[in-house]
Amino acid sequence: MATLQLNNLHAEVVEADEKILDGVDLTVESGEIHALMGPNGSGKSTTAKVIAGHPAYEVTEGEVLLELDDEEWGEELPEEKLTWNLLDLEPNERAALGVFLGFQYPAEIEGVTMVNFLRQALNAKLEEREELFEDEADAAEDEDDDAGYETSPMEGPADEGEVDVAEFQQILSEKMELLDIDEEFAQRYLNAGFSGGEKKQNEVLQAAILEPSIAVLDEIDSGLDIDRLQDVSDGINALRDEQGTGILQITHYQRILDYVEPDHVHVMLDGQIAKSGGPELAEKLEDEGYDWVRDEAYEAA
Amino acid sequence: MTAAQVHETISEETVRQISDELDEPDWLLETRLDALAALDDLEMPDVIRTPGRDWTNLHALDFEEFVDPLNAAEDKDQIGPDEVEVLPFAEAVAEREDLLREQFGSVIDPEENYLVALSTALFSTGTVVYVPENVDAEDVTIRTTQNSRSLFNYTLVVTEQSSSVTILERQDTGESVDGERYYSGVVEIAAGENSHVQYGSLQDLDEETYNYALKRGDAADYATVNWVDGNLGSRLTKSSVETNLDGEGSETKTVGAFFGHDDQHFDIAARVWHNTAHTTADLVTRGVLDDEARSVYEGVQDVGREAWDTNSYQRENTLMLSDESEADASPKLIINNHDTEASHSATVGQIDEEDMFYMTSRALGDETARNMLVEGFFVPVLEEIEVEELRDDLAARVRERLQ
Amino acid sequence: MSSEQDQLKQTNTEERFEFKKEERSAVRSDKGLTEEVVRLISDDKDEPDWMLDRRLRALEHWQEMPMPTDWPGQPDLTELNVEEIVPYIRPDVDKRSGADSWEDLPDEIQDTFEKLGIPDAEREALSGVGAQYESEVVYQNMQERWEEKGVVFMNMDKAVQEHPDLVKEHFMTSCVPPSDNKFAALHGAVWSGGSFVYVPEDVTVNMPVQAYFRMNSEGMGQFEHTLIIAEPGSEVHYIEGCSAPKYGTHNLHSGGVEVFVGEDAHVQYSTVQNWSKNTFNLNTKRAIVEKGGRMEWISGSMGSKATMLYPCSILKGREASANNITIAFAGEGQNIDTGAKVYHNAPNTKSTIESKSISKDGGRTNYRGLVHISEGAENSSTSVECDALMFDNESTSDTMPYMEIDESKVDVAHEATVGKIGDEDVFYLQSRGLDDDDAKQMIVSGFIEPITEELPIEYAVELNRLIELEMEGSLG
Repeated sequence: MATLQLNNLHAEVVEADEKILDGVDLTVESGEIHALMGPNGSGKSTTAKVIAGHPAYEVTEGEVLLELDDEEWGEELPEEKLTWNLLDLEPNERAALGVFLGFQYPAEIEGVTMVNFLRQALNAKLEEREELFEDEADAAEDEDDDAGYETSPMEGPADEGEVDVAEFQQILSEKMELLDIDEEFAQRYLNAGFSGGEKKQNEVLQAAILEPSIAVLDEIDSGLDIDRLQDVSDGINALRDEQGTGILQITHYQRILDYVEPDHVHVMLDGQIAKSGGPELAEKLEDEGYDWVRDEAYEAA
Repeated sequence: MTAAQVHETISEETVRQISDELDEPDWLLETRLDALAALDDLEMPDVIRTPGRDWTNLHALDFEEFVDPLNAAEDKDQIGPDEVEVLPFAEAVAEREDLLREQFGSVIDPEENYLVALSTALFSTGTVVYVPENVDAEDVTIRTTQNSRSLFNYTLVVTEQSSSVTILERQDTGESVDGERYYSGVVEIAAGENSHVQYGSLQDLDEETYNYALKRGDAADYATVNWVDGNLGSRLTKSSVETNLDGEGSETKTVGAFFGHDDQHFDIAARVWHNTAHTTADLVTRGVLDDEARSVYEGVQDVGREAWDTNSYQRENTLMLSDESEADASPKLIINNHDTEASHSATVGQIDEEDMFYMTSRALGDETARNMLVEGFFVPVLEEIEVEELRDDLAARVRERLQ
Repeated sequence: MSSEQDQLKQTNTEERFEFKKEERSAVRSDKGLTEEVVRLISDDKDEPDWMLDRRLRALEHWQEMPMPTDWPGQPDLTELNVEEIVPYIRPDVDKRSGADSWEDLPDEIQDTFEKLGIPDAEREALSGVGAQYESEVVYQNMQERWEEKGVVFMNMDKAVQEHPDLVKEHFMTSCVPPSDNKFAALHGAVWSGGSFVYVPEDVTVNMPVQAYFRMNSEGMGQFEHTLIIAEPGSEVHYIEGCSAPKYGTHNLHSGGVEVFVGEDAHVQYSTVQNWSKNTFNLNTKRAIVEKGGRMEWISGSMGSKATMLYPCSILKGREASANNITIAFAGEGQNIDTGAKVYHNAPNTKSTIESKSISKDGGRTNYRGLVHISEGAENSSTSVECDALMFDNESTSDTMPYMEIDESKVDVAHEATVGKIGDEDVFYLQSRGLDDDDAKQMIVSGFIEPITEELPIEYAVELNRLIELEMEGSLG
């Protein structure tokens, strides 16, 4: 699996020159659940977006590393393919390496069905992975092995990609059942006209299908009623328990932590991790708010 | 009509006399004389043309017959609360020449087209509304009753920073003239930063009057210019209500309503130019046509290259009550910035037969049912009108027309 | 997704559309539009006098009419100098009326159409094919079974000779008279080539017939005429495709299409337009639809420097209907001005117009449409839906519908939206593993998805292929 490391990460908004992250240090390993909490504007969402490579932010200092554990990749990886500086990579390349971002506000894309989108995403991920791991010399050969354009372009070619339509349907049904998602979901357009809760559920479904080694979930719990919160929590726990995904869960509320018990809790203030601890820290925050953390942090400084 | 035709009835002397009676300064007289001289070269306002058809024919107007500026007569009320200056034009010339000089023609080019230039040269009456900084004023009322063959009216509204004003203008005609008449109204609004202007207008001229109206507002940063434009009267109306969203975060909402009957012709336009970032426009128009009435609607949403984060919406609905009526519509979207959310829609239709059947099955007579449905059709625009008095007046005039 | 892309990259445009062949002509007219040129064309075709007369009358209209320059937002035509255009180049082939075997064509022409995939398509999915190279049709063939049923699919020049009565009655008379517009007049004067399709009563041609128009030479004009007569109860689907290599000077394409849809007949007319980006594409296409007839126009405009195209349906008989699907894609330097016109001249007529336009890299699209409902055309309905997608701030998208409603018992609806491809949307898709190109491609596919469901499958495939090429900016 993998380890995600944020080292002294500084970032600002590209257009506004506004500094948001001021030296974030954080490590998340596969199989762990981390909760990242903090008041509005402390930099939580920005951390998530910077990890995934959002173009609106510029990293001015520090690094985001992903260290792979080569056993999981089926073959022995050479040394230089074990550690990746995510900041050098495009968002889709980061996704291919197993970093997933669950959005606070997922985009609505008309005309693109869930099933088509997810299958393409899964295949793109598998293919991109191959490209990232293969030697430069081999790269050229791969160019002309695909042909054919037999089905409707809207469905995507049937024979293309590692996962074909039938196989994918199978995967999709399993995951949807796991997350208690209505089957007609698959034929709907991507997030278009979804309720807030449906969108969040859909984000977890996508994570389940793409099987990331690290999933950053940005306010996945906001806007959920209690039933859906349980479904979503079950999905997150399954990600960790069955796929060994490492979770970085960004949240305002203690509530979800009753269902998804974190191994580590971090508090973010003014663009830095001000305090880290175990689950008891979240409870204390729930009871006492953030001020005491702030006081402590400034005293220490 | 050619320019020469009008020229025979208007001389430089006429213009000088009008200016003199208002005791105008030289610069204003010069502006008028320039406009007069420009008539030769100016075109009529644009009308929509499609293969084989002009949607409105302004060239058929016989200006020689009804342009008679020296005998202009009217009844006028110009009322407003104390903290706002509401000045008849002559008073504005005497007391606020500085303001006039700065703002006159700043929103609408006095020579923008033939009819504007004619109005510039010949207007003999008008109103200047000045709203000082931070003043919040309601109930500015301007009523004009035309008692002469022709009347050229000019209105200027200037609002200073963070002020707010609601203006209600009404035009109608007195009994004293028989035959065809001409009414021309030009309205300029310069809405200062963060100010809020609501300008409502109810045109109820008699049905032998030809009416030209051009109303335009320039909105500065965070300013709002809202229009209500009701057209019921006149034989032919060529009206355009326009907003330049020049300031960041500026907004406009235009609510239009018309109800034509007999052989009335309404050529109505609602236009907005998004010239800068974060601007919002909403254009809503509903019209009903009965008998041989005809409507032409043009809506323009023009989003400029620099208009990032624009929201622009337009809706137009026409209800036709008679087979002899005609409705033409052209809602246009011109988008030069991709950071835009825009939509428009237009419908033309008749009263739904199912609706009629439902209502008559509840024992309503045809006429009553139809009238209720027409009144109901106007409700969405009436609900958009924040000025209660205007809303009630418009609803009452619609009901009257249905009798 | 990306292996498709790879494949498309290999099927590069040089190979597929952009290749140039040396010009080998039998006859080449002078530049410009003169009486001499018109007489030369007519003489070279050995036309009857009545056709020459029609050409000369059209020339008079051309000379009298002003260029259309006063439409709001229209493409700039000032760069188009008709006096510099060569209107007539007859390719040097053995058989004037079109060979019925590809092997009989000169190598370079045969190679051209093979690269364009026409012989393959003919074998697989078509009832008949006509292929025009420069000013004349060089290949013409139709399956025998249709001939036996009395279906005619021949080149237009030949139809003038062999079906003079039908042509005399229908050719640029009631449907598209030369006086209709400046470019219809030009077309009437110098038209050459094109298709004549006649479908007898109650015959259903169940596989499409296709015509392909190829301009090869620099600075030429192509003016093919298509005349389709569908007798009552018949059905036919006509597909046209077109392309040209890109040159530094301007080419002109000005086609004329006339369709007569008989009572209860059904005609589908599909176009995939992929002219090179130095081509002015100014067409007049019109159908007259009798009682119960149905006309469908499907127009995909990908190529050209400037296109002005508004397929028109005149719904003449009760219950006639027209459907229009318009897809426009304007990239760098392109101005695609397209839409539809419908005249409802009888009761119970129906029309729908769906337009999807995409602008990118400074391209300009404009939907321009007219719906006219005449007095007495009661119970007619029309619905217009226009959607536009813009990729960047250099691009422009306009929507200019015109509705003229002279009848009250109608149902008229027009709707338009402009959407943006937000950076957020692209990022979202990228974060799921799609690369930038694939993400944008996916958004475009989603955007046109609602109408592609209504398209014939072979058409949808070709369209999507061209859109992908446009998205990569690899079309010249």
